[in-house]
Amino acid sequence: MAMLAAIALSSFVLIATPKGELSLASIKVFPGSSRRLPNVKQDFAFVNFNLSADLTPLFHWNTKQLFLYLQAEYVDSKGVPNDVVIWDSIVRRKEDAVINVMGRNKYVFRDLSRSFRKAQPANYSLRYNLMPYVGVLTYGEAGRSSEPVSFPDPETVS
Amino acid sequence: MFAEELKAFRRLGVRGILVQLLNFASVIASGLMMWKGLGLVTNTESPIVVVLSGSMEPAFYRGDLLFLTNPPNTPYRTGDITVYKIPGSPIPIVHRILEVRGVNRKSSKSKAAMAKEIVDDEKGAVLRAVENEPEVEQLLLTKGDNNPVDDIDLYNGLDWLERRHVVGKVRGFLPYVGYVTIAMNDFPKLKYLILGVLGLFALIQRE
Repeated sequence: MAMLAAIALSSFVLIATPKGELSLASIKVFPGSSRRLPNVKQDFAFVNFNLSADLTPLFHWNTKQLFLYLQAEYVDSKGVPNDVVIWDSIVRRKEDAVINVMGRNKYVFRDLSRSFRKAQPANYSLRYNLMPYVGVLTYGEAGRSSEPVSFPDPETVS
Repeated sequence: MFAEELKAFRRLGVRGILVQLLNFASVIASGLMMWKGLGLVTNTESPIVVVLSGSMEPAFYRGDLLFLTNPPNTPYRTGDITVYKIPGSPIPIVHRILEVRGVNRKSSKSKAAMAKEIVDDEKGAVLRAVENEPEVEQLLLTKGDNNPVDDIDLYNGLDWLERRHVVGKVRGFLPYVGYVTIAMNDFPKLKYLILGVLGLFALIQRE
């Protein structure tokens, strides 16, 4: 019991703030419809990004795994904030904690109004959730796009 | 075989047995009090839950213990792991938030009117309580780390989760300990065995 508590408490001391780089290669918006609402036209955003981060300092003796996620943060046409996870990944070993990814969004990226036309430019950030063997879950940010990226007009598909 | 136990009972007498029963009841009552007190502090109906499925592997496995809080004025964020209960399905689900969508509170105008009334009544404290309520409500979409798709099909026809569906947010983690309750559910006889043995001990032990 005491050992478990000691290990859990040690997480509060073993704090690291890794820094990573995140940049958007491209963002495109296409009209389409979802499987759930096949008759409703809505816009989908497709994001290509480059990501590099060294997360090894986050791996200490009480680190079970890291849950990494890339999220878009933007204010929509109604003036309220939206946070959308567009990509995630689980890192389970220290050897895999140096991240170099050229990727695209893994999850559907859409807006409640079904269009990004009036949405304000979005910030993108790389966040992590450190999940311990025992104790508290901690969160942090490991990278952020240097400036907000605006949504382009939807492209027409023939 | 039970001669000694019977002898022990006889030595206790009626009064002794009643005292033991009282001890037993007070143990149960204080356990219940602690549970409810913890619930009050953390603002959730069940501050400790046991993971029942593998949909959050490799983070959480069956039998892991999760500690929840649900502070009323703290907005949810993506990446938070929530425990939520959909009306109509009895089993709470532990999944991670994938999308947080703000929506303007529908009764925002009436709230402003209400706040004004309270000012006229000079009830400043109540006004502050109203003002502290977040202007924006949140719509949530969740997904299990181990599931390929988001949870929309689990929502029983709802499009989004709202705060009222969320039991709490996972803050702490203790592995394996909850497996006892899973074992008791899977093998009901074990439950009666454990309860019976514990009850017998409580009755027999003197002091």
